[in-house]
Amino acid sequence: MTNWTAPTYPRDQCAIAGIGASDFSRASGRSVLTLAGQAARAALEDAGIAPSAVDGIVRCENDSVAHNDLAHVLDVDELTYWGSVPGGGAAPAAMIGQAVAAIAAGLARTVVVFRSLNGRSGERYGRGVAHGAEEVGGNGSLDELFMPYGLLTPGQMWAMMFRRHQTEFGTSGDALAAIALAFRARANANPAAQMADRTMTRDDYDDAPMISTPLRRSDFCLETDGACALVVTATDVARDGPHPLCTIRAVAQSAPRGMNPAVMFPALLRTSLTTQPSAGVARALYRRAGLGPGDIDVAQFYDCFTPTVLMQVEDYGFCAKGEGGPFIEEGSLDLDGVLPSNTAGGNLSEGYIHGMTHIAEGVRQIRGTSTSQVAGASTCLVTSGLPIVSSALVLTDGSEVVST
Amino acid sequence: MRPVTDDVDTEGFFSLAADGKLGVATCGACRAVLHPPTGICPACGAVDVVWRAVAPTGSLVTWTVVERQVNEAFPTPYTVVLVALDEVPEACLVGQLPGRHELVPGEPMVAHFDDDSVLPQWRRVDDRAASPHPPAGQTQGDGA
Repeated sequence: MTNWTAPTYPRDQCAIAGIGASDFSRASGRSVLTLAGQAARAALEDAGIAPSAVDGIVRCENDSVAHNDLAHVLDVDELTYWGSVPGGGAAPAAMIGQAVAAIAAGLARTVVVFRSLNGRSGERYGRGVAHGAEEVGGNGSLDELFMPYGLLTPGQMWAMMFRRHQTEFGTSGDALAAIALAFRARANANPAAQMADRTMTRDDYDDAPMISTPLRRSDFCLETDGACALVVTATDVARDGPHPLCTIRAVAQSAPRGMNPAVMFPALLRTSLTTQPSAGVARALYRRAGLGPGDIDVAQFYDCFTPTVLMQVEDYGFCAKGEGGPFIEEGSLDLDGVLPSNTAGGNLSEGYIHGMTHIAEGVRQIRGTSTSQVAGASTCLVTSGLPIVSSALVLTDGSEVVST
Repeated sequence: MRPVTDDVDTEGFFSLAADGKLGVATCGACRAVLHPPTGICPACGAVDVVWRAVAPTGSLVTWTVVERQVNEAFPTPYTVVLVALDEVPEACLVGQLPGRHELVPGEPMVAHFDDDSVLPQWRRVDDRAASPHPPAGQTQGDGA
């Protein structure tokens, strides 16, 4: 018989002490390592921490910058912890979770979490991995069952998932337009956004070329060269920093039974195409955080394509399953709505750094420094990508931290 | 674009297709459907895959008309369909119809096998109603 009891989640015990990013562009002219170094140094300067003091790094498995690459350009004294998280856009919140776990376990004190990519001038994910290939599949990819039929890109897959949502619930395309227009308006207020100067009207949305029905170009995210980095420390360390405190209330990951193997397309073979792994993330996250959807002041939803937002507002409990369309059409995601969302513009209009900028914007909301600030925001939900597996976190102002 | 047909976990699908049959992997020990195909059964752990031929009919779950070409091997427009098998409703397969189609959720689909392809292909059961190239913008559900 064991008398071991699982420890409770270290709520609010760690904080995001610094945020930083490179510029976002279509052609950086720099290596991904240079971009990562710029973003990490900006985040450390923001935190008031010397780069040499970094002792932990968490990277995304899809990143071509390795932990020792970044440690080298930060000239760190000694790196004693590193980890990487798979899953591309699904990784960022889980990466923060790794940093929290490392700090809570005493493996590191100052952890840099980053994502860097030349997503426009280098490898373009939106073109699909089969570009130029004469033979596809094998090695457990299962691509041989999908790509030879011309199913090649994540956008085409999300088009099919949204069509299913329309079939099951009668969802209107107006919901997707409302998402794209709201996030573009937030980007227009954010000088750092790629779409800062590009307004979008409903006519602009409707006039965009059809890519894969029913999704238009205006339902697709940007392709971006850039990097974003975050500095995670113990809350007691961050408390002495230059900014209002932003603590990590809780982080959760979920890969539910029946998620299916491989990287992308087998998600189409699931029992449901309209309930995503986000539903499992939400259950674990709210339990760990001791909070519910009614406690969330502002949200940053992973938005590689507009339908991901539609399904997440349902999965995270802001409305019932199937009611995401009407919920969004009534302006819920606008700055004056019940759930102001993607207040920097998101993947759709700020830049596509694979979900990492969503966390940085969450920190700005808690600090009170967003270019689309939600008055009095003290809790922010930040989600990472789907549909394979997913992760999310809740940031707070630390006001509920129990001193020990 | 050719599929790899000799992967150890999926080759049964292609070898049955070469005989004009639609295959679904099942566990020889507990009879669970292994879809997508895996070499080890998620339910019981047995390594005993049996590929069985099932009726080549199904119903349409969802679809998309691809309008923006991303790969020279697939000139647009074309329609990608997801079909739930009548005999094994928990198993879905992807197919492609040439051109644009006005489809109806749940409509019946049937698989066929062409000599020039190692892949099963799907078509609508009532193809007389299908217009392979209606004008862009008139495809059902394009009002997003």
